[in-house]
Amino acid sequence: MTDHPLLQPVVALLAWSMVMFVWMYATRLPAMARSGLDPKTKIGGMAKDLDSVLPEQVQWKAHNYNHLMEQPTLFYAVCLVLVLAGCGSPFALYAAWAYVALRVVHSLVQALSNRVLYRFAIFMLSSICLMVLIGFAICSVF
Amino acid sequence: MTYNPLLGPIVALVGWSIVMLFWLAIARGPFLRGRTIPDGARGDDLERSNPGKHNWPAHNYQHLMEQPTLFYAIIFTLILMGFDAPINLWLAWAYVGFRIAHSLVQATINVVRVRFLLFLAATLCLFGLTTHAALGLLHS
Repeated sequence: MTDHPLLQPVVALLAWSMVMFVWMYATRLPAMARSGLDPKTKIGGMAKDLDSVLPEQVQWKAHNYNHLMEQPTLFYAVCLVLVLAGCGSPFALYAAWAYVALRVVHSLVQALSNRVLYRFAIFMLSSICLMVLIGFAICSVF
Repeated sequence: MTYNPLLGPIVALVGWSIVMLFWLAIARGPFLRGRTIPDGARGDDLERSNPGKHNWPAHNYQHLMEQPTLFYAIIFTLILMGFDAPINLWLAWAYVGFRIAHSLVQATINVVRVRFLLFLAATLCLFGLTTHAALGLLHS
């Protein structure tokens, strides 16, 4: 169980989330300094308040990081279900890797060009991969 | 293949989240027709330009990406501890049931008092599951 192949895409997307974490702060902290915001004296407030202060290209990285904390949590849950249910289907593994690849592309689109049509299309494709995984989970568990 | 019965509620709630994803797309879709969407726009921007109840399914989808992540984590914990006593299975299914009812309320009538009570009931289930996991650790 510990070397189930479905654990690899899970770890890959976790690692990619940390790449976006670094990218977010590597762009945000210099932008905050340029805009005269001093985090040392700031009390309260939320990250989304920065949307009205920082350039949107800087916030795009943060938007994507936030996005990675949303639907991928379903992906982790369903992959771990498949691992614990002993699912050995290669198609589930393909769907999981496709989900990870599409989420990486989604991150790059949102962080760089952020054309909404492309972003939406990639998000929908990744959602279809997630639905395939859920279908495997339903077949495994019910 | 035998599996732990606690996996069932996880699959149900993940599947329900995808149902809400479709619901939000269907509810908001008509407001996107014939508009040019600026680069970088997000769902929140759509809400600013078109406030109203058609955003309620989206609010609930966002909500499903929040506390249920704790639910998934604690259920996997209980499974890996082997603590799948019937009480935990009931609590897990009750959590899923309350969250689905919470979604239906928030996406339709959205009476905050009812929504809050359902959220509270779900949270009590999560609290019970978490307490059992903590006691399980202490007694192992």
